[in-house]
Amino acid sequence: MNVRRQSLPGRIWAARWSYVYALPMMVLLVGFIIYPIGASLGYTFYRWNGIGDPSQYVGLDNFRRIMDDSIFWGAVRHTFVYVAVVVPVQLLLALALALVLNQKRLRFASLYRTIFFLPVVTSAAVVGVVIQLLFSSFGDVINNILLDLHLINGYIDWLGDPRFAMAIIIVVGIWHTLGYNLIYFLAGLQTIPEDLYEAAKIDGAGRIASFRYITIPMLRSVGVVILLLALVGSFQIFDMVQILTNGGPYFATEVVNTYIYHLAFGRTGEVEPDVGLASAASFFYGLLLITLSVVQVVVLRTLVRRRAAR
Amino acid sequence: MHRRTLMKAAVAAAFAPTLGSALAACGSDDKPTAAKEITSWDWLVSQAAWMDQEIKLFQQAHGGGTIKKATQASDKYPDLISLAVRSDTAPDVFQLPRTPAIEEQVKSGWLLPLDKLATDAWKSRFGPGWFEAGGNTFDGKTYSAPFNGAGSNLQLYCHHGLFKEAGLTNSDGSVKLPKTWDDVTRAAEAITGKSAGKAFGLGFGNSGNAALAWWIEIFCRGAGAVGGTNTIDYRVGKWTYASDRNYADFLTLLLDWKNRGFFFPTSMSVSDEQARAFFAQGKFGMIVNGVWSQAAWKEAKFTDYSLVTLPSPTSTPKGTFYYGQASSARMFGISAKTKEPDTALAWLDWLYSKEAGRRWVKAGLGLSVYPENNDPSGIEFAPFAQYVETSKTNLPGPDPKLRNPEMAKVKVQAVKPDVNDVAAGLFTGQLKNVAAALSDLEGRLNKAQDDAIAAAVAAGAKVSAADNVFADWDPVKPYQTKKS
Amino acid sequence: MVMTHIALVVSGIAWMYPFLWTLGSSLKDTDEFFARGLNPMPQQLMWSNYQQAWEQASFGTYFVNTLLITLGTCVFTLLATAMAGYVLARAPFPGRGVCLFLISATLFLPHGYTIIPIFDLMEKLGLLNSLFSIIIVQAAGGIVFGTFLFMGYFQAIDRELEDAARVDGASFHQTFWRIMLPLSGPMVATVGLFTAISAWNSYFIPLVFTLARPELRTLSVGMYAFIGENTTNWTLLCAGSIITLVPIIALFVMLQRFFVNGLAGAVKG
Repeated sequence: MNVRRQSLPGRIWAARWSYVYALPMMVLLVGFIIYPIGASLGYTFYRWNGIGDPSQYVGLDNFRRIMDDSIFWGAVRHTFVYVAVVVPVQLLLALALALVLNQKRLRFASLYRTIFFLPVVTSAAVVGVVIQLLFSSFGDVINNILLDLHLINGYIDWLGDPRFAMAIIIVVGIWHTLGYNLIYFLAGLQTIPEDLYEAAKIDGAGRIASFRYITIPMLRSVGVVILLLALVGSFQIFDMVQILTNGGPYFATEVVNTYIYHLAFGRTGEVEPDVGLASAASFFYGLLLITLSVVQVVVLRTLVRRRAAR
Repeated sequence: MHRRTLMKAAVAAAFAPTLGSALAACGSDDKPTAAKEITSWDWLVSQAAWMDQEIKLFQQAHGGGTIKKATQASDKYPDLISLAVRSDTAPDVFQLPRTPAIEEQVKSGWLLPLDKLATDAWKSRFGPGWFEAGGNTFDGKTYSAPFNGAGSNLQLYCHHGLFKEAGLTNSDGSVKLPKTWDDVTRAAEAITGKSAGKAFGLGFGNSGNAALAWWIEIFCRGAGAVGGTNTIDYRVGKWTYASDRNYADFLTLLLDWKNRGFFFPTSMSVSDEQARAFFAQGKFGMIVNGVWSQAAWKEAKFTDYSLVTLPSPTSTPKGTFYYGQASSARMFGISAKTKEPDTALAWLDWLYSKEAGRRWVKAGLGLSVYPENNDPSGIEFAPFAQYVETSKTNLPGPDPKLRNPEMAKVKVQAVKPDVNDVAAGLFTGQLKNVAAALSDLEGRLNKAQDDAIAAAVAAGAKVSAADNVFADWDPVKPYQTKKS
Repeated sequence: MVMTHIALVVSGIAWMYPFLWTLGSSLKDTDEFFARGLNPMPQQLMWSNYQQAWEQASFGTYFVNTLLITLGTCVFTLLATAMAGYVLARAPFPGRGVCLFLISATLFLPHGYTIIPIFDLMEKLGLLNSLFSIIIVQAAGGIVFGTFLFMGYFQAIDRELEDAARVDGASFHQTFWRIMLPLSGPMVATVGLFTAISAWNSYFIPLVFTLARPELRTLSVGMYAFIGENTTNWTLLCAGSIITLVPIIALFVMLQRFFVNGLAGAVKG
């Protein structure tokens, strides 16, 4: 209350050290994140190969080209498919695993936790190369096993077949980032006071009931954050696709970020980069995501309110 | 010591008429001035051993000056050069990137004119026709020089072991190499059938999205689609993916091979390099590849193979590979911002020397611009001798930039999907209709070309669509482009 | 419980399989590498692969570079995010809302083609082609998430502690450095680990910022250069992968105790 009555300069002076403390973060934020985003917005109005300074002004033409490009919309579709499968599967798996590993009586829990978290700490570049090598070099071994089991009736080129490539990327994606969600859920479970469960037990509630009426409600706020982070991360899927399939075959696994990358850096070294178009694609995609998240927030709020009103 | 004297002699001979001051010191003093430290970039991955050796020899000859080499992956190379120029850290000497076009590199001030080096005497050692405007020379200044001799870009390699196992031999026991499309079909069928699933007839590594188009390139050229996948058909001045039915015929045949199980199953997802290793291990019998792979195979002690070029529907190819001197007249250049121009020029001179070229050929990496280096009789390694031999069938072809230098101002935008994409789409069944896919591709390519010419005209260039048409060209004869 | 263990062990081995295979393959010779296929067990141990990777392929140099960059990035990120997280959580100031808005907005804003502006900025600052440039840019990449985590953690710490310190006459700085920061140990470990993971593994930034000086390359860049610059030796590549993976795995194993606690603390807030 006291603070409110002071004049603005007075309040600023009183909080001077707060500004000093926030300064390093703000400098990094503005200098290396916000300014570059703004600067690259300027490129969207030019046709430019990244050499010298942009000079050929084309207005909104880059945005029009993006919206007319069926490959871009294919990339958007692939990204959404990826997100729509990876996020729910990963969250459910991670929650289940977290519940198992959170049991007090389970021995070696931290060893298991380490094992399942491990892929997270490894770079997509290294892991991607290894997995690409496994599938492409020894895909015939896998094929022969499946042929012997009569599960398939012809050879499959796993990463080179449009019917399987995306599925493999999804599986690898779940494997690579599940650990984060596992740890978040474990952290969330630890915040639930033990006495709640004790009380429930005394009241005669079974394990399912206490899961339904204690665990789920207590995890709800953490869950929203985990969901949000999982969404943000999956919508930016890039490295793994770039390394495993480079978006191919014939754009079957092209996601938005590989699409942008291919525009910005050329695809083979023989095609010139199109920086303006790449920036336009990136902004357009960003707008799309922001619109979606706004819609999502609005929908969630209405739902929560309706529930509260009931 | 021997190398040093050799170098001095070479430099002295080449520079005798107009010695630059520092180079003079290098050529005539008893103690050569120590060369300074310079950086040199290239994307010569398979040829790295040759480059390392040249650096060593150069340093010996120049009393210990240092060349810091960086070899970059070819797909990153243009971006890296462009960023390096942007930050004023361009390497002193570099292999010229394929993009942007050399005209733009010159216009953006990337390259140092080689005035001190490229005297008439120096130029004359390459033979006639190499320093025309539009190739390496702009506004009378020379920025680069030719290095490679005109070789055939791609060949069909055949694995002797698998051919023999499948009974594909002549009466004298030698391997029966395929000449026609049908020969390839029969050989692939025999190898796939005889090996009972252990080996396949054909294979490639398309993870880089390029190898599939190599098949189209050599099979369609031989059939008479003279543009291949690289250029327009200069007889009509247009792309002819749909109007020349050879493309559709070959793609249909390719899909037939695929459906009959002749291709190594993971061809779409392995890299070209992996595919070459599998070919060497005998996992499939035929691969389309370039001469650069011979060095790697040799290193892996795999030498039992042959190559054929331009398989065609009939036994006589109706087309071949064509070269224009303008577009192959460049390899290395010097950064305009170099702080050690004398050392850079000396290094460039070394790279373009006859001796370096001879070692290039000797290492089996390709042909030298100096014809005397390319004598097949001096080459012991059989597959490389075959390569040198087949390269003789290459012919000089039309060159629009030579006829009208204004054509250098036409900048055609790349299309997407391109021929690599379309080939991959057809191969994986994502595109169903060969004819429709090819006609769509041809339409977009020709539109991009028309647009580029229209844009150049609007910007004041004196060009027209007719500049791409060479109606008098007979693809089975050498063509001399007349200057306008 | 036994069933749980069996299920966890089986799925754990499957989960680790790519690493086990890489480890095994890094000790095979080239012929064996192709012959053994998916079998991770090497027949004889080719330790020389490691020696070759370390010396010939320069992984030794890359290792030191990566270590320096990771340490530097962690120090910068931790300082910036802990201080900012503290004032955003506990020391309200006019403009806090704007700060928060900017931070959250960047979570969603398209990052676009930002490498050229960053590159130009570094050039103007004269920092190109130095390890420091990589550290700064990477530290910037992790600050948003780190600030959020610290903010959550400080918000959850009992306010009475801080008030008691004030009553005892502790200054703003003393409160932060002597009381709040030590209390946030688990979060320091958490953000430190997240930062270390991304700094250790990052590829694109070090690639672009070490263009002119190959001797400044990091392990990830080195791995890729190794593929592009040599006709690839797969077993050496696997050895290089292991060299790249082991330190960061070891760090995680060491820090993981604090890690879950740290996150639990932030989540509470």
